[in-house]
Amino acid sequence: MIKSDICGLEKMLGAEILPGSLILVTGAEGTLKSSLVFSMISNHLAAHGDHGLYVTLEQSKESHLLNMNSLGIKKRDGLHIFDYQDMRREWKDREPDLIQMTNEVIDFYKDKYDDLTLFSLDSLNALYSYSGEDNLRNKIYHFFLNLRDKDLTSFLIMESPPSRMAGLLSDFNRPERFLADGIIELGIIEGKGGVKRYIQILKMRAAKHAMEKHQITIETDGIQILGPIYSAAPKD
Amino acid sequence: MEQIKDASDMKKFDDDDGNRYINRIIKTNLEVFIASFLQDKQMSGYDLIKEIFLKYNVFLSQGTVYPALYSMAEEGILQAEYSKSDMRSKKYSLTPIGEEIAQKNIEEFVKAMDHAASLVQKGMR
Repeated sequence: MIKSDICGLEKMLGAEILPGSLILVTGAEGTLKSSLVFSMISNHLAAHGDHGLYVTLEQSKESHLLNMNSLGIKKRDGLHIFDYQDMRREWKDREPDLIQMTNEVIDFYKDKYDDLTLFSLDSLNALYSYSGEDNLRNKIYHFFLNLRDKDLTSFLIMESPPSRMAGLLSDFNRPERFLADGIIELGIIEGKGGVKRYIQILKMRAAKHAMEKHQITIETDGIQILGPIYSAAPKD
Repeated sequence: MEQIKDASDMKKFDDDDGNRYINRIIKTNLEVFIASFLQDKQMSGYDLIKEIFLKYNVFLSQGTVYPALYSMAEEGILQAEYSKSDMRSKKYSLTPIGEEIAQKNIEEFVKAMDHAASLVQKGMR
């Protein structure tokens, strides 16, 4: 699952991602996190005909699609996008528990489409910030558990500081890195050939994978992963 | 329409024993109920939650109602526009095709409920 859904990803992954896995996609702003995940899901659904759900907490569906279109990434049939904009506008003074609500939204689509296999949340940071700190670790643990129970292959997008070192303490305080089956990091690196975007697989349970940073680009027909980048530290 | 002050106030009615069948019927046939409400007027997600609560004492969470609205809009049953008087609120109405589908679904639903009720009554005799 997923390995053949992005051109060049097969160079990094020795085996398919197991269905039902929970993958964290991290990186600073502008590193193509949303685009990569949206592409992977969209291409997978186009090839397999099942259903997927993309939940965006901060962007409207229209603005997200506009952004994807501008990058040459098309939404395929079977991909349902859920945004919180209307709900947040109408319930301005009484924001509901977003973790509980996201679970209800997943339940709705899972009931409606037996073959809902893919889920993405954009972003985990937003879910945290609207959920409050009370018992957050426990809530996140159960949220992840629910995704696994529903057999969804899930991609959770998480914005992180530009350099992993810079975010070390805050990163490792969070439970998602321990609970995730896989971690894909996106970033920007400065090398001999100038500034490039990279993708690196830091962790992938039950799948051999390359550890090197690979260059990731956007071409007219969408996202492509090129060869490994042999360079110094990521740009801060 | 009166403002809903606190959604949690409404939840206490949700567990009322007398309401549990209505609650289940509405939740499992939500799209039929939404279509029936929208036959008369345009409504937002907020309006629907409030109206269903006022009419049936059933509180539906936002995470139940909004996906149903989005899904019905995606299927071409509903159309949405921002209210002229309140740009915060997106109002839904039935499309021409949606009206036909809604009418058919409501008739089938009523027939099925009548049939189920008569089966239960026969069993009690």
